[in-house]
Amino acid sequence: MSQDKPKPLSDLHPGDEALVFEVLAQGRIRQRLLEMGFIRGARLKVEKLAPLGDPMELVIKGYHLSLRREESQCILVSEED
Amino acid sequence: MPITLALAGNPNCGKTTIFNALTGSRQHVGNWAGVTVERRSGFFESAGIQVEVVDLPGTYSLSAQSEDERIAAGFLADPTVEVIVNVLDASNLERNLYLTTQLLELRRPMVFALNMMDDAEKNGLKLDPTALAALLGGPVVPTVGNREEGIQALREAILKLACAGPEPLAAGGTVNYGPDLEQELGKIVREIHRDEELARTCPPRWLALQLLENGFKAKSLVERSHARQAVTTQVQSSLAFLEPHLGADGATLVAERRYGFAHGLVEEVQKRSATRRTDITARLDAVLTNRWLGIPIFIAIMVAVYSLTFVVGKIPQDWIAGGFNLLHTWAGERLPPGELTSLLVDGIIPGVGAVVVFVPIIMLLMGCVAFLEDTGYMARAAFIMDRLMHLMGLHGKSFIPLIMGTGCNVPAVQATRTIEARDDRFITILVAPLMSCSARLQIYIVIAGTFFRPVQAALAILAMHFLGFALAMAVGKLLRLTLFRGANAPFVMELPPYRLPVLKSTAIHMWEKGSVFLTRAGTTILGGATLVWFLSHYPGISNRSWSEELHRQEAAVRTLNLPPLEEASRLDDLALAHQSRVVNTSLAADIGKTLQPALAPILDPDHSRAEAWKDSIALTAGFVAKEIVVSTMAVIHHTQVGDRDGNPDVSGLQSALRQRSGLSPLTALAFMVFTLIYTPCLGTIGMILKETRSFIWTSFSVVYGLGLAWLMAWLTVQGGHALGFA
Repeated sequence: MSQDKPKPLSDLHPGDEALVFEVLAQGRIRQRLLEMGFIRGARLKVEKLAPLGDPMELVIKGYHLSLRREESQCILVSEED
Repeated sequence: MPITLALAGNPNCGKTTIFNALTGSRQHVGNWAGVTVERRSGFFESAGIQVEVVDLPGTYSLSAQSEDERIAAGFLADPTVEVIVNVLDASNLERNLYLTTQLLELRRPMVFALNMMDDAEKNGLKLDPTALAALLGGPVVPTVGNREEGIQALREAILKLACAGPEPLAAGGTVNYGPDLEQELGKIVREIHRDEELARTCPPRWLALQLLENGFKAKSLVERSHARQAVTTQVQSSLAFLEPHLGADGATLVAERRYGFAHGLVEEVQKRSATRRTDITARLDAVLTNRWLGIPIFIAIMVAVYSLTFVVGKIPQDWIAGGFNLLHTWAGERLPPGELTSLLVDGIIPGVGAVVVFVPIIMLLMGCVAFLEDTGYMARAAFIMDRLMHLMGLHGKSFIPLIMGTGCNVPAVQATRTIEARDDRFITILVAPLMSCSARLQIYIVIAGTFFRPVQAALAILAMHFLGFALAMAVGKLLRLTLFRGANAPFVMELPPYRLPVLKSTAIHMWEKGSVFLTRAGTTILGGATLVWFLSHYPGISNRSWSEELHRQEAAVRTLNLPPLEEASRLDDLALAHQSRVVNTSLAADIGKTLQPALAPILDPDHSRAEAWKDSIALTAGFVAKEIVVSTMAVIHHTQVGDRDGNPDVSGLQSALRQRSGLSPLTALAFMVFTLIYTPCLGTIGMILKETRSFIWTSFSVVYGLGLAWLMAWLTVQGGHALGFA
């Protein structure tokens, strides 16, 4: 099965799993995301959205993290094949 | 000479419980130089050796991007640090080891506390500390901080390492960045060694890694070196080779290798047993951050915290206020009348009272905040409220300080400590005073009750609270777009597992917050209260002929042989007349008259009020505390508030205001708007000064408050006129 084109993390829905493809953000946010485990190939799972629709809760590297849409738009993920 | 030990670790790894367990009650809380990040240090003694433990801010890395990281990195680079204890959350080892890879590069003696071993076991993880110690190159001690397990072993490991000297143990585990990166790192390190001074200030390999990561701090270190040309050229050529070859930029490559190391380590030392318990955190989150239940539960928790703080907290507050009142009366009756007595009785005693009265609510609110923080709910609260707060240019964690501001602004400003990013914290500190606190409510009740019909009055009071919140939103957004335009701190927030808080830690925390408030903010408040006493009593209080006149009149009343009740009320009237005379001729009155033209457009638009200058005295008093505005108005308008038993009764003041003050419903509303917005009290100023540690931001808070208050009150008057109200 061929892999889908990478898409922004913000397009995923609760319950979806994916692999980190690339962090597009620059500067401070980029460094922070890398440190928190958003490296190529890292597996993540979208847990839920906050009651008001933003931010998003996800699991990466075995811990739970929340990201605003602003940040999750800057992370490209590819769905597992 | 005590040994200095630094505790480093991720947020939520249980570092503070380890710190408390190591040092017991022998701790000191201050601030790191120049910033408002808490610096906690303490001592323990073992085998006759004193060890100073410094608790670093919890960080995910040492890349010096945030204030916390700069402090941690800066302190770890300090040569006086002899041992580093890296606290690791055993139940979340991989992410915790990322920081460890950076700490290892510092080449310092290091002990690893494998904390929360019980959580790891409950999660079905089996860890092998011996294997981990071999891979990390330093002693690993399993601990359970909140039950003080493994603490003695940790102390022993620390002392053993400290006594062995740095040589044999510094050569610990090394992260291997792979052949390509290692080769380029070697080249950069060689260039760094051209400047031996530079190589001594910072381990060369550590510096080389930061340069590959494009670290700002490392670049500025190199900028100052005479070898900058050689180093920078080498870094550029290394990146030019690595990036296309390995298909990512330097920062990504370094982070990938670090996580690779961490992952490999976890694979080696951790076994996941087949049985995995059902995750309590997942089950709690299914309810607490549920799409439908999340917000109602959050509101219920806020109501509980609010009631505990301001309803339960009011009981000890009333005792304190009552005690100071007794002291005030007792001293007033016993001491000979005069200026010094007045300073003590009307200046210092109420001033100290005004400080101490905040302590119960500060301790209670800080206790609640610490409880929410330690259980892990605070991060969920931020998760739930972030969308709304982000619209105002704020952070999810700003919500709790703002809501608590409706009870009292002083602890609200202090509660902003939970917000990590400096910009978010400062904006919250600056807008929190716009939340209408309970002390302002008294003023609204008197003013609205005087000039409006009951239903209108209730609406006006409600409108004040909404106006405060709306202004906080608008000002927050405006500050974010102007003065705090810098890169928005990323909202990358961990949602840690729920944990039972350690009550001892909460108690220590509450005690610290209360005592720090008394010593730091307390002095500002007391100083301000004394200044206002001086302004509102001089020169009248030193006027001999007035006080002699009072004594003559009092003596005359006593000779009349009136029934005791009537005599007492006549004496009170005389004393009040004297007080009014002193206040109305005081420096404060002079200032009031001088300021009057500035306030005229909002409080006296038609220039028809003879007594408009009295408002400025009341508003000046409101600078000290909104609680004393009503009583000050009573004195300047020469009426009594409260009957002889001290029951509040403002009808006398209300009729005086209606008959003599000349305020119209419209200007009364403007007065309320002004009261809402300008500086809430000296307590808040003291707290803002303590929390921002900046005279500039504290003055900014006062000045913009006054400016905005004037503007909004003026708009109220103009709008009212336009709509046809007088």
